[in-house]
Amino acid sequence: MNFRYTMIGAALFIFIFYLGLILSLLYFVGGKGFWNALLSSHTLFSIRLSLIAATLATLLAVSIGLPSAYALSRFDFFGKRLVDTFLEIPLIISPIALGASFLVFFHTPLGGWVQEKGIYFVFEVPGIILAQFATIAGLATRLMKSSIDEISPRYEAVARSLGSSPWQAFYRVTLPLSFRGLLASIILSWAKAFGEFGATVTLAGAMPGKTETMPIAIFMALGSAHIDKAIVLILILVLFGLFTLYGVRLTGRKYRYD
Amino acid sequence: MIRIENLTILFESFKITNLTIQIEEGNFHFLLGPTGSGKTLILESIIGLRKPKTGKIWIGDQEVQNLPPERRGISYVPQDLALFPHLTVEENILFGIKAKGLGINRYKEYIQTLLEAMKIDHLLHRRPNHLSGGEKKRVALLRALAPKPNLLLLDEPLSGLDPSIKIEIQYLLKNLHASFHPTTLCVTHDFEEAYFLADAMTIFVDGKVEQVGKREDIFLRPKSKKVAQFLGAKNLYQAKVIKNDESSHRWILEINGLEFSIPKNSSHEEMEVGREVHLFIRPEEVMILREGKPIKDSLKQNIFMGKILDILEKERVHSIYLKTIKGEVPFEISIPNYAFRNLHLSIGKIIQIALRDESLWVMP
Repeated sequence: MNFRYTMIGAALFIFIFYLGLILSLLYFVGGKGFWNALLSSHTLFSIRLSLIAATLATLLAVSIGLPSAYALSRFDFFGKRLVDTFLEIPLIISPIALGASFLVFFHTPLGGWVQEKGIYFVFEVPGIILAQFATIAGLATRLMKSSIDEISPRYEAVARSLGSSPWQAFYRVTLPLSFRGLLASIILSWAKAFGEFGATVTLAGAMPGKTETMPIAIFMALGSAHIDKAIVLILILVLFGLFTLYGVRLTGRKYRYD
Repeated sequence: MIRIENLTILFESFKITNLTIQIEEGNFHFLLGPTGSGKTLILESIIGLRKPKTGKIWIGDQEVQNLPPERRGISYVPQDLALFPHLTVEENILFGIKAKGLGINRYKEYIQTLLEAMKIDHLLHRRPNHLSGGEKKRVALLRALAPKPNLLLLDEPLSGLDPSIKIEIQYLLKNLHASFHPTTLCVTHDFEEAYFLADAMTIFVDGKVEQVGKREDIFLRPKSKKVAQFLGAKNLYQAKVIKNDESSHRWILEINGLEFSIPKNSSHEEMEVGREVHLFIRPEEVMILREGKPIKDSLKQNIFMGKILDILEKERVHSIYLKTIKGEVPFEISIPNYAFRNLHLSIGKIIQIALRDESLWVMP
C-alpha cells in the first residue's frame, strides 16, 4: 500500500467524517419549524446565556491561568510537578464527575458556608460559570504555558538588564511576544466553555429559561422531540466553533515575528 | 573598577568555586573557558538573574550582588542576541533608555554617534527579522551600549557568524572599544578572538580560575598544563629535571633520554633536580636548520636530528610532524608557507632542528 496515499487518505477520512455530519444537519434546514426555532425567545436566551457564561468563565480562567502558566514556565518551586499534573484533572475525569464533585463540595460545611455567605452555585447561573471555569482553567493554563515556553527567557533577561522590572519585562516583552499563542489559547478555551455540557448540567441543572445554555437546550430539545430546535442550536454551535477556529488561524498570521 | 569576588555557583552539574575577576575601568576583559564550563551561568549571576551561593560583586564602590538586575547598570548581549522581534531597530535601541526613565533627548547625540560608528542608521525602522546576521549583532551591541552601562557583558559575541562577518564584527568591537571605552567582560571559548580583542583575560577551566593576566603572558607563559591544553598547545611533554647547570644558568630536562637545556627564566616555578614538570615548546619557534649553513650560538643549546613523518599544508603555514632520532620524541613544527618552499622538505627526510630559547616554557 502506498505510504503517502495511506496517510493522506486517513486525513481526508477525518475531514469527510466531520463534514458529512455537519452537512446532514442541513437536510432539515428551511422548514417552518426551523425558522420558528431560530427566532424563538428561548433560543435567543440560550445563545445569550452561553455567550455571557463562556466569556466570564474564560476571563476568570485567564486571570488565574496566565500567571500560573508563567510560573510553571519560568520558575522552579516546591510542588511544581504536582500543580502541572493537576492541570489535566478536567481532561481525565468526565465532566459529569467534575460537576458531581462540586455538588458534593457544596454539601460539605465549607461549601454550605460559601453558598450562604457568598454566592449560590447549585442550580443557579453562577454554577454554569463555575462549571465552565473548572472545565477550562486547566486547559487554558496548559495552552498558555506552551505559548510562554516558546518565548526564550533570554528576552526577559535582556529586558531586565536594560532596566525593566519583572512586571515591565513581562508586559513589554513576554506578553507581546507570546500574544499569538495566548490569544489562540483564550479563544480555544472560550470555545470549549461555550460547548460545555456535562459539568454544567450536573451543577447548574437543566432549567428552561434559567440555566439553559445551548448544549443543555440541545439536550432538552432532543429529549422533548423538538428536532428543529435541536438542529438550529447545533448549527449555531457549529458556526460559532468554525468562526472561533478561523479567528485562531487569523491571529496566528497577524502576530508572527519570525 | 569592577570586582567579582569569590563567586561560587552550584547549579545542576555545574560547580564554579571562588571565581574572582577584576576588570579595570574601560578595559576589555575576557573570561575564557571551554564550551560547557558554565560561562553563561557566571554572566547570569553577574547580571543578577541567578543567585550565586556566595560571592560579592562590586561596581566601583557599590556592592551590587543584592540588587535586582535592573538596578545594577549592567548591559548584556547574549549569544543569541535576543533582539526583541516585535519592536523596530529604533525601539530596540531605545528600550533601555526608556525602561530606565532616562531622557531620550540627553542621549540623542551619543546614540547618533553610535549609529554612525556601527553604520546602521538606515535600518532604524526595520524589524530584527529583516536584518542580516552582522546587522543584528550591531543592533544588539548598540542596544546594550545605549544606556551607557557600568559594565557590558558579551556572551560569545563572534559565534555563529560567517568568517567574513566575523572579522568585520571583530574589528567593529575593537574600534567601538577604542572609541567609547566601555568596561567590558566577554566570555568565549575561542582564544584567537580573545587574543585579538582583550586587554586582559581570565582563564577558567574545570570551574576554577587557572590564570589571570595580559594576553601575551598567558599565550607565551601558561601557568599550568591545563591552561596550555586549553589554549591548544602543541608539543606538550612530561619531563624530568636531571641537572642544575649553574655555570650557564640553565636547567637540563630529560624526555625519553633526550636532553633539553632550558634557561632558568623559562618558568614561574621553582625547580629542583628530580622534579617532574611539563615542557611546552611552541611549534612556530622551532627552527629547521639548513645543511651547510652556520648555526648561531643562541641556537646551539638544543639541536636534534629528526625524521619527517608527515607534512600538512594549512592556510598560512605548513605543519611538519617529526620524531627525533634519539628518544623518538614527537614534534610539531609550524613554518610559514614561503619558508617551506625554500626548505625542500619531504616525508621520510632526516633533518636537523634547533629550539629557540623563546620557544621553551616549563610548567608544574
